[in-house]
Amino acid sequence: MELAVVGDGEFVTGFRLAGVQKVYKINEESKLEETVKGIFNDSSIGIIVMHSNDFNKLPETLRDTLSESVEPTLVTLGGTGQSSNLRDKIKQAVGVDLWK
Amino acid sequence: MGTKDVKPTRSELIELKKKIKLSQSGHKLLKMKRDGLILEFFEILNKAKGVRNELDDAYDNATEKIGIAEAVEGRMVIKSTALALKEGPVISLESHNIMGVVVPKIEASSVHKSINKRGYGILGTSSCIDETVDSYEILVDKIILAAEIETTMKRLLEDIEKTKRRVNALEFKVIPEMQEAMDFIRFRLDEMERENTFRLKRIKA
Repeated sequence: MELAVVGDGEFVTGFRLAGVQKVYKINEESKLEETVKGIFNDSSIGIIVMHSNDFNKLPETLRDTLSESVEPTLVTLGGTGQSSNLRDKIKQAVGVDLWK
Repeated sequence: MGTKDVKPTRSELIELKKKIKLSQSGHKLLKMKRDGLILEFFEILNKAKGVRNELDDAYDNATEKIGIAEAVEGRMVIKSTALALKEGPVISLESHNIMGVVVPKIEASSVHKSINKRGYGILGTSSCIDETVDSYEILVDKIILAAEIETTMKRLLEDIEKTKRRVNALEFKVIPEMQEAMDFIRFRLDEMERENTFRLKRIKA
């Protein structure tokens, strides 16, 4: 299992420094969706790391599948994209907003 | 099961009684599972909140460090250093079981490397780069932790929902319907008995 990082040049370089091999640099926004889909179907990847700004640029259906999938798991950085998503799920399942 | 399509026979009544008893014990068990899952979920929730905050802090710290490093060394140097790194973190996935829910246990090896094992020259680079690498290694560590905990949460939430739906279906749909059918059979059997006695009396008269 490996870590995959998707994002612009600056975002990705840092992870290369930490030794992450599978980094996907996105130069044009139009290629973002395609790249993410490719990673999603790659079975050797266990965790996808994205910046939440990039994540919010994806179409909604892809966002839903990504945030619901367990393998690979998506982790977004910066912003509050993911915690609000989890928050909705908690509200739905438990009935009470327990997050914070 | 509608009330209309049960046969009012004694064997059916016995069968129904058995079914109700089974559903009630199943309902009790599922209720306990649901409560257990929610308890487990509370524990994870507390952890998850902490991990999220730590992750955000680590990310802020790492972006700051790489900003400084870029300012001091220049973008090209950082990039070439980054390309020199060979060894990456390897993640291993194990699964363990919380009340029937399979949750992943993610473990990472060789995230933190000592300076001389990183693969770039120590002499050619400044301490800024070392610090950046350090902070990103910490970030990767936190990401892996967050991934594990958040996946666990997702799985638990899914299962809580499923169990809750089952509990409610049994409590409010399946058991009352069977009870209704049982009442219907009892009523019909009593009625048939009364009819019978009446008929016998008429024949006698």
